[in-house]
Amino acid sequence: MKFQIRNSLVRASQKLTCTPTPILTWAFTALSLFIAWSGPACAGETASSAPEQERALIQVLQSDAPPGQKALACKKLAIYGTDKAVPALATLLADERFASWARIALEAIPGPAPDKALRNAAGKLHGMLLVGVINSIGFRQDAGSVSVLKRKLIDSDAQVASAAAVSLGKIGGPQAANALSRALGKAAEPVRPAIAEGCVRCAEKFLADAKSADAVKLYDAVRFSALPKERILEGLRGAILARGSAGIPLLLAQLQSGDRDYFNIGLRVARELPGREATEAVAGAFRQATPDRQPLLLLALADRGDAAATPVVADIAGNGEKKVRLVAIDILDRAGDPAALPVLLNDATGEDPEISQAALAALARLAGNDVDSELLARLPDSSGRMRQTLITLSARRGIEKALPLVAQSVGDPDANTRNAAIQALTALGGNNEVAELARALAKSEIPAERAHIETVLVTLSGRLGTKCVPSLLSLIQSPEPANRKAALQALVAAGGSDALAAVAAATEDKDQSLQDEAVRTLCSWPNAWPEDAAVAEPLLHTAKTDSNSAHDILALRGYLQFLLGDEKLKEDDKLAKMQEIMPLLQRPQEKITAMAVLQGIPDPAALELLAALAAEPAVANDACAALVQAAAQNRPSISIDQRKKALQLAVEKSTREETKQKAEAALKNLQ
Amino acid sequence: MSDSLNTALKRSTSNLTRRRFLKSTLKAGGLLLAPQIVPGRVLGLNGTVPPSERIVLGGIGLGNRGTYDLSCFLGEPDVQFVAICDIKAARREEIKKKADEKYGNKDCAMYRDLRDLLARNDIDAVLIATGPNWHATAAILAAEAGKDVYCEKPCTKNIAQSLALRDAFRRTGRVFQAGTQRRSLPNFMYAIDLARRGKLGRLQTLYAHPDGLATSMSGWAPAESEPPKEQVDWNLYLGPAAWRPFNKKWLDGFNFEKGGGLTGGGCLEWGSHCVDLCQWANDADKTAPIEYEPQGDELHARYANGVKLVLRDNGWIGLGSCPVRFEGDTGWVETGDDGDLAASAPALLANKRAKVSGYPANFHVRNFLDCVKSRALTRANVEAACQTHITCHAANIALFLKRKVTYDPVKNQFIGDEEANRLRSEALREPWRL
Repeated sequence: MKFQIRNSLVRASQKLTCTPTPILTWAFTALSLFIAWSGPACAGETASSAPEQERALIQVLQSDAPPGQKALACKKLAIYGTDKAVPALATLLADERFASWARIALEAIPGPAPDKALRNAAGKLHGMLLVGVINSIGFRQDAGSVSVLKRKLIDSDAQVASAAAVSLGKIGGPQAANALSRALGKAAEPVRPAIAEGCVRCAEKFLADAKSADAVKLYDAVRFSALPKERILEGLRGAILARGSAGIPLLLAQLQSGDRDYFNIGLRVARELPGREATEAVAGAFRQATPDRQPLLLLALADRGDAAATPVVADIAGNGEKKVRLVAIDILDRAGDPAALPVLLNDATGEDPEISQAALAALARLAGNDVDSELLARLPDSSGRMRQTLITLSARRGIEKALPLVAQSVGDPDANTRNAAIQALTALGGNNEVAELARALAKSEIPAERAHIETVLVTLSGRLGTKCVPSLLSLIQSPEPANRKAALQALVAAGGSDALAAVAAATEDKDQSLQDEAVRTLCSWPNAWPEDAAVAEPLLHTAKTDSNSAHDILALRGYLQFLLGDEKLKEDDKLAKMQEIMPLLQRPQEKITAMAVLQGIPDPAALELLAALAAEPAVANDACAALVQAAAQNRPSISIDQRKKALQLAVEKSTREETKQKAEAALKNLQ
Repeated sequence: MSDSLNTALKRSTSNLTRRRFLKSTLKAGGLLLAPQIVPGRVLGLNGTVPPSERIVLGGIGLGNRGTYDLSCFLGEPDVQFVAICDIKAARREEIKKKADEKYGNKDCAMYRDLRDLLARNDIDAVLIATGPNWHATAAILAAEAGKDVYCEKPCTKNIAQSLALRDAFRRTGRVFQAGTQRRSLPNFMYAIDLARRGKLGRLQTLYAHPDGLATSMSGWAPAESEPPKEQVDWNLYLGPAAWRPFNKKWLDGFNFEKGGGLTGGGCLEWGSHCVDLCQWANDADKTAPIEYEPQGDELHARYANGVKLVLRDNGWIGLGSCPVRFEGDTGWVETGDDGDLAASAPALLANKRAKVSGYPANFHVRNFLDCVKSRALTRANVEAACQTHITCHAANIALFLKRKVTYDPVKNQFIGDEEANRLRSEALREPWRL
């Protein structure tokens, strides 16, 4: 609502303000509920009409227009205003309501006129309005205002003096720096933090102008002054960075400090200070640090991204005490240095599982185009644990060129290598590998290996989808029931109509256990179900024709779940299917599921089926609850009389108080 | 409804979920090739955390989103939440109740003015979830007060605020985490990893879903009776925004003064997430696109490295809100808040982890806390947040002006375009400054 109103007003406002004559009539006052502006009506319009717009907007400021109009005029003048608008805007600087609106425009309009206006205002205003003006002077970095601001440094109003200090810092230069550094020792305590901020900002400007000696003076002045700790830390950081490599001793002093805040600023600067010398210094600090600080320093070292840090980190990754070694392994890949590869491979093939896993993870992350090639080159001649590691890495890094060797390793005499290869196919394999795994499964007689292959086959089939189904069909024709069962599971994962047909056919397999598996599979068909409506037919067929009662029950349950979940099935069709299946339902459990379907069908016939169930003592209460649920809702296809009848039946038949109360309440609503 | 009938329905629902889940997770496996994290073992997180080692946290402006963020913080063993600041009394009391219940005491202090909270020396870090009007100003104040900051997005109102935020956190050496939690979610990280590792070939086009691109300027509403300051402090609510009379419609915080002069568009609201992910995918955390042009219902931008960024509302596969899509010359990947990934080839997704949906912030909060301890850069660090927001603001300016703009990300100015340049900043109401 808000935006609708706003938008209509925006359009009205736009229309008015974009028209050169007469811009605003104050009949518009009534419209000034919510005022906003969605920008120029079209590209290019603004350039041609800007002077007219400016004139109109100035008129608004000088009129008795409603305050919202004046505010928006200021916003527009920020884009279209020139020095012509400055006098009108400057007048508003003394108005508490509009001063900040005016400064939006005055900060944006280029040229000396706004600077002059702000300077003039700084000489006349007091308190918060003066603070605002000083802030704007700082934003504009008006060097001509330095003398004005210097005087304000000693203003009795701490907010004014503080604003002046920060603005002087933003302007920078020797004059501002001198004024600020002199004030640092003399200023009242509430103003000192802002003066320090001004000094730091000034120092930053010196640094940007390559005047590091001037910057160092200011940073040092700050860190040696009586200031809150956070200001001292800022001064310290700057003092180290401004000195460059000469700042290293100061950095090391922080890294050795017993005070956590100083140590922390050291950790920060240890990442920022450039140069090889700094890297070596941080590495030295790491070696000398206490065990609790070593991991933090190692992280800082790695974050420097300097290749010179790699040997240090690599040394720890290969030989360090376990806790810090694990950290080193975790971060060794960060520099992207190929020198990390042999160290990490060595760790990955070691005996300690924690070290090995950490190294594998780091190797998987290790960046650089050469890494894949290097791993690939090592694979053919590798054996044992190294081969397993390389195969695993090929999968984790997605090195598709490794696929032939990985596939070949599925038949490796070493069981661990075979397992690694089988697992790797999950990530790398395609249809050929599905077929290869199917063949390997057919051959394998080792239970653990068979279980592994089956798992991988399911995962890979799930990843590849329907296109791998042909590669599985030979397995489902295997003479061994165990192989056919594995094929069923893989087909489920692959999905699609061909897989479904194969599973449906398996419900009539000669092997009883396979029939069971096929029926179970059908009942929990995990494809884009319930969109995959084709599963309904074999389920119903099994429910109707299978002589095995357990199969009937499973199939009925699956079919009911299908009906319950299929949002695309039309209500008429759903009702017809329910009417067809009701005679087959024998047990209370399935009848209760059927009620869940029926109560969702807005048809009197569904109510009748529920009413029939309400006559069966074993499920009467559930049927009554479903009747109430269905009949309490206003459905055009069910008459009020039909709903009343259903609710009345629930009152009569249910022995549950809650159901009765709900039914009676619903009946009352229908009176 | 009867219990058994209820169960039947629930079983049906859970079956659907399980089946869909099975379908998606069947494809998962292996290890995510993730960007760097601070190893938890560095930070001594195994076991309980003694009080002296806990990060003492304060909250500023915790409404709906902030309350959720706070619950993520409260779930971490090394956090002690001690103070809430809000301009609304009801919110202060609500958060205090939550914190006191968590700790079984009455210690959570309440403040109306954020300066009082920031003056406390015992507070290490603050969670800022005020509303976009206050985000940058409050975050800078916090940094200057020596606090580390987790700040909800959008973090800034304009380009100047983005740069000021970056500079303040550089200057103070404090840790900053933008509340762009998708940077810490596995599906987004995985997609970004594919892009950055060259698994999609040479990157060509990045797509982000802003969910609405219209812009307008924030404005003025008629005066209403102002509540007592103790209940709602309107002056502090306005904070850095230009003055206007009280009107409760502005009090939602969510849209008020979002994007400074330019409000109402999803470019900033959602862009601070999805554009952020594109920035990361393009390894552009230290830069921003150089051209921005509205094209029909879309906004097209271009980076100096030739990669194109497209903000569009249509054409998505349907993987949940906030989707992104990265296209290279050999492949593509798309993902969204559902946690699922789609790609041009199954092999690209071979190593994805089990999905996390619902875009939780707990991983992101953990990353922030780890970095508070290690002083490392967070995933959504201030430099990255600065450039993401600059990109969103520049796009917003192009949309507002309804024409192409060209930006210099080194000088941080639009080239030969005074109109656009004037939209880079907006004065703050006194006494606030950046």
